[in-house]
Amino acid sequence: MDELFKVASKILAEQLSIDPSEITMETTFEELDADSIDIVEMIMALEDSYDVEFPEEDLEDYPTMGTLLAALYEFLQQAKK
Amino acid sequence: MKIAIDVMGGDFAPGEIIAGACKWAEQPGCHAILVGKEAIIKQELGNFDPEKLTIINADEVIQMDESVLALRKKKKASIAVATKLVHDKTADAVLSCGSTAAQMASALFILGRFNGIDRPPIVASIPGPEGKNTLLIDVGANVDCKPAQMLQFAVLGKSYAAAVMGRDNPVIGLLNNGSEETKGNALALEAYSLLKNEKILNFIGNIEGRDLFGGSCDVVVCDGFTGNIVLKALEGLGLYLGRAMVQETGKVPAVLHRFDYSNVGGAPLLGVEGVSIVCHGSSKRDAVFSGLNTACDCVTRDIVNMQKEALKLIAVD
Repeated sequence: MDELFKVASKILAEQLSIDPSEITMETTFEELDADSIDIVEMIMALEDSYDVEFPEEDLEDYPTMGTLLAALYEFLQQAKK
Repeated sequence: MKIAIDVMGGDFAPGEIIAGACKWAEQPGCHAILVGKEAIIKQELGNFDPEKLTIINADEVIQMDESVLALRKKKKASIAVATKLVHDKTADAVLSCGSTAAQMASALFILGRFNGIDRPPIVASIPGPEGKNTLLIDVGANVDCKPAQMLQFAVLGKSYAAAVMGRDNPVIGLLNNGSEETKGNALALEAYSLLKNEKILNFIGNIEGRDLFGGSCDVVVCDGFTGNIVLKALEGLGLYLGRAMVQETGKVPAVLHRFDYSNVGGAPLLGVEGVSIVCHGSSKRDAVFSGLNTACDCVTRDIVNMQKEALKLIAVD
């Protein structure tokens, strides 16, 4: 999960032109001023990084980086099995 | 010239979209790639010359009221499939009368964007004195904008005005509710500050709605929410004046045709790695026909590379 967070926060920070240290698991996307396109872009970049296709998600169910990454992490674990 | 047409998008899809595409494809050198539900397309086509077009099946459609997230859920949507054809160089351009959000997201995710550009805006040409039109940017791709994005719109507008319209050192204005620097909402105030401090821009400050037609600016920047309202208000005004003139004089003066969107048909998304033409949701065959000719013009003028060349000189951060 730590590695996923590192990769995801680096991607999102680059997209939003902010310092990765501004992103924590508790940070809400709203606080980061990230819109749905930003989040979808991050998810697509993660898909490229991990060579997987995450399931279609309802982003409103994941208001923070932590909640979204937890769902993606669970999928990655399932995919490994 | 091959253009991929999302025939499932729009209030009058697929019938009017296909009719406009067929009319366009009758021109020499034009080939329409109709993207949508194949069975429906075949039914609509009737006896049209099959050599003038290709049908590519796409089973899904993104509805006007769906968000950009629909693109992830509907990977076989007609707009996504049509945009992919441009990415793969099968088509020279894509045109859609469907969801602008879905088209913008398709362009962003499938075609890709230029370095330093967060969101592609739509640029429209506003009639001006002696044929000197003014570009209004953004007219609807981004309803919620950040100040930095407004700066990017200005840079893209500058490059487009210089590259495509031949304007030397284009004059940039910010659409606002007053000309003074202190006027406007938080977005306008912050955008003003960014535009003023960007040395590569020939920024003359705020301009008001009435100044759009005066020819004082080559490019007027606004957020997509405001720009779309302005554009549609102009179209509505044109229609109203046309009706009033018919009642009073029995004819429509030629100048009002400049406000008829069906004569232009569509407007390009800027800042993306391909030509993507956004059309009105309410487009009928004539507007689709004009939009396809606008797409041809954009391809012929090589707007993608011309923007990129102009941006190299500007070097967006």
